[in-house]
Amino acid sequence: MAEVFVLVEHRRGEIRDITFEMLSGCRDVAKSLDASVTAVLLGKNVDNFVEQLKSWADKILVVEDDKLENFNAEAYQKVLSHLIKERNPVLTLIGHTSFGMDLAPALAAELGIPLATDCIGFEVKDGALIAIRQMYGGKVNARFSFKKSPYMATIRSAAFKAEELGLSAEVEKVPSPLTEEVTTKRFLEYVEAVVGEVDITQAERIVAIGRGVGDYSDEKVRSMIEELANELGAVIACSRPIVDKGWLPKDRQVGTSGKTVKPKLYLALGISGAFQHVAGMSASETIVAVNKDPKAPIFTVADYGIVDDLFKVVPALTEKIREIKGGS
Amino acid sequence: METVEGESFGEKYDLFVCLQCGKCTGSCPLSMRSQLNPRKLVREALLLENEAVMDKDFLWDCTTCATCRLRCPRDLQPVEVIIGMRSILIEEAKVPSTVQEALESTFKNGNPWGRAPSKREEWAAELSIKKASEGAEYLYYVGCTPAYDPRVQSVAKSLVRLFDAAGVDFAILGNEEKCCGNEIRRMGEIGLFEMLMEDNIEMFENYGVERIVTTSPHCYNVFKNEYEGLKAEVFHYTQLLCDKLDEGKLKLTKELKKKVIYQDPCFLGKQNKVFEEPRKLLSSIPGVELLEYDREKMRSVCCEGGGGRMWAEATATGERTAETRVKEAAALGAEVIAVACPFCLLTFEDAVKMTGYEGKIEVKDISELLIEAIEG
Amino acid sequence: MKIVVCVKHVPDTAEADVVITPDKKGIKKEGLAFGINEWDEYALEEAILTKEKYGGEVVAITIGGKDSEDTLRRCLAKGADRAVRVEDPALEGSDAYALAKALGAVIKKEIPDYDIIFTGTQASDDGFAQVGQTLAETLGIPHAALVTKVEIQDGKAKIHRELEGGLEEVLEIQLPAVLAVQTGINEPRYVSIMGIRKAKKKELKVLNLSDVGLSPDEVGEKGSLLKLEELYVPPVEKMAEILTGAPEETAARLASILDEKGLIPK
Repeated sequence: MAEVFVLVEHRRGEIRDITFEMLSGCRDVAKSLDASVTAVLLGKNVDNFVEQLKSWADKILVVEDDKLENFNAEAYQKVLSHLIKERNPVLTLIGHTSFGMDLAPALAAELGIPLATDCIGFEVKDGALIAIRQMYGGKVNARFSFKKSPYMATIRSAAFKAEELGLSAEVEKVPSPLTEEVTTKRFLEYVEAVVGEVDITQAERIVAIGRGVGDYSDEKVRSMIEELANELGAVIACSRPIVDKGWLPKDRQVGTSGKTVKPKLYLALGISGAFQHVAGMSASETIVAVNKDPKAPIFTVADYGIVDDLFKVVPALTEKIREIKGGS
Repeated sequence: METVEGESFGEKYDLFVCLQCGKCTGSCPLSMRSQLNPRKLVREALLLENEAVMDKDFLWDCTTCATCRLRCPRDLQPVEVIIGMRSILIEEAKVPSTVQEALESTFKNGNPWGRAPSKREEWAAELSIKKASEGAEYLYYVGCTPAYDPRVQSVAKSLVRLFDAAGVDFAILGNEEKCCGNEIRRMGEIGLFEMLMEDNIEMFENYGVERIVTTSPHCYNVFKNEYEGLKAEVFHYTQLLCDKLDEGKLKLTKELKKKVIYQDPCFLGKQNKVFEEPRKLLSSIPGVELLEYDREKMRSVCCEGGGGRMWAEATATGERTAETRVKEAAALGAEVIAVACPFCLLTFEDAVKMTGYEGKIEVKDISELLIEAIEG
Repeated sequence: MKIVVCVKHVPDTAEADVVITPDKKGIKKEGLAFGINEWDEYALEEAILTKEKYGGEVVAITIGGKDSEDTLRRCLAKGADRAVRVEDPALEGSDAYALAKALGAVIKKEIPDYDIIFTGTQASDDGFAQVGQTLAETLGIPHAALVTKVEIQDGKAKIHRELEGGLEEVLEIQLPAVLAVQTGINEPRYVSIMGIRKAKKKELKVLNLSDVGLSPDEVGEKGSLLKLEELYVPPVEKMAEILTGAPEETAARLASILDEKGLIPK
């Protein structure tokens, strides 16, 4: 029977969510391709990972090696290209994460396998795989076909839901094909972003700002946002552009490359809603978005939306909240 | 010092005749609150090397109101010296990040606000306005701020209704319109200014434009005085509407019982001597009592919105001039501060909030008051 | 050091409406502002900073039509020493794999003794995030994506890569290598129009496929592994309840919703 490979992504002793999302999300496409699902686990001392994965796959392929302790795209590429050549899976899935982005393109190129990156869905048409991915910042979806099989794809975080499968996987240990240490690229250490005074992951209410606030170094803009946050008892968080400009520290950034937050209220101001941001806040209880662009993707995750200029709405909102507070 | 084109500042700006009398610094609205000192800068332009400007962040404080030029007993142009120094900073990439963004956006998008060119005519979506390609007596050059800023869009919309009411045959460029470059030149980006000027002149000629009317005194100024080879006649909207008033085509019938004070925009008033038309329009509104600042016309005080200051955070401390002006207006009993410039509108509205006069004093563009006078 | 930077001239669709062409293979370009891909702007700055620190030469490369020379001229004005543009009708329809092959061929032809290659991690138009890494593979050299810091020391580079959740990893990578940089790694400098004009004297070479030793079959649809079938407007699964009216009205409505939900602290 054909196999779909799903590469297990783990870091610092934990399997990352994307792994379960892929294992769960690929069942339909595996079925259409007449394939079983194999979780491919590379690492060192991974027994507890094996236990966790058993109910999520038909088979677990384990390669243990001291040289695979930390993620290293070069070492992973050597092992995976060996496994793929040997077992010829019809489809290999890797997370479109920092890890997968580093690994998948070179691996696919080495093997001459077509790769569709950052996929959000699949279709199987006449036995052939179609990948669905977004372009132009999520404003357009695209269907891509693969020139030949086998296929490889990287999967966007949170594109699929991780739903318990209740399987009992067969475990197969494979000897590591790595004969020597990878010298071209060496892992040294992890460094945490500097933690500031505010921990946005603990906040009950968040006022989040994006590119749409314009120049956040402008005193007037800053005080307008701060006033609203004060009235709401909210902390201020942001999307990536605000951090790139140096206007807020990295620990205020919400999204895949920043923090994941689940506050009771997430008020998004001038945030378009690129998936990297949405992935970090979509689990918030109540989401409100203010944005000039009615087509901004943020409105598809928000519960309430205002399509207007935030410079008009924010002062008015601050005022109304003040009135409500004053009246109680 | 040498200009970015390689001439000496002394020769280019004729600085050898400077008396160092200090009238420029005395007249500068920022010199009291900033290290900006035009007299000293003129002297340094003669004595020092270009490197000397590298750490002068305060050069971005200048609003280019040009009072220094207008008061100079030797007809020198300290404001141009400051712009020349900014040009050195631009060429050396010593630019505040917000100015950098405004300039990059102007190059890429044709406006300094970082907005998509395809959204430029969105303000006019519900109005039916001719496009320049259809031909018209006047080209209404809207300008970047009235096109994109939600507050100032109201001015553009008011003007369209006023032009219609007065039977003016006009058209706009829509999404094809590009920044006029007045602020760009004053931020010291000479190359970008020249590029905009060439592109705009070519576009005006392609559409056979003979008369241009602008929302902003800044666009008016640059078209009128700095666009080399522009053949079209240029008007500020207050001039055109004043003509229409005189011709009896603009009828101000509805009463507006308000005490109104008028803020002369630097680029309309002192720099271009258009003092009477705005005042005549205001005083022709039935019920309006027109007040005057003590410092008015040639002595009027800048709002701090010009010369790139919309994009540069000033090093200046203390009370902003617009705040001072709001307090003066309040002391004179004004209920409305009338402006005729998009930047004045924005800076004064902020100043009203900052000084706590919100709800007591309104800031309105003349066009908005005229609309009330024709439509009630 | 011989430093290469690969750049792409892209439309800015952040605010503009995106309209799919009738053949469903592309978007309407009229009215869109074009410029250097945001990630590539940081890659270019990193290349120039590297040159300024260690000496050497920066060569900027792009694949694209005549209009992409605007982006190359900016690269030259900011500090690149020369630029190469590859244009060939056969490149039409190339996927990331084919583009990486073409870039690799240009680099081997024009800068065979390169020490380091910078690219952006992704482009804002197609969002593949794979050209740099694939390029490294075709050249047989190591790579790193999402690079946020680079320090060069004796034929190696100590780099930081951005991971999820505010974490970074520090790696040592042997040179030559491809470093695909993440935004925010530096502060791209301003370049004036006068600067761009002055840089017109710098060499900007235009090559076609045969100049770089590639056959038309190796690129374009034939040389690609992935084919764009169609573009379509994403279906809207869920939509927020949009509050309508003047700002005072929408703000009042929102405030009372927040109040009802107990989200206003009292």
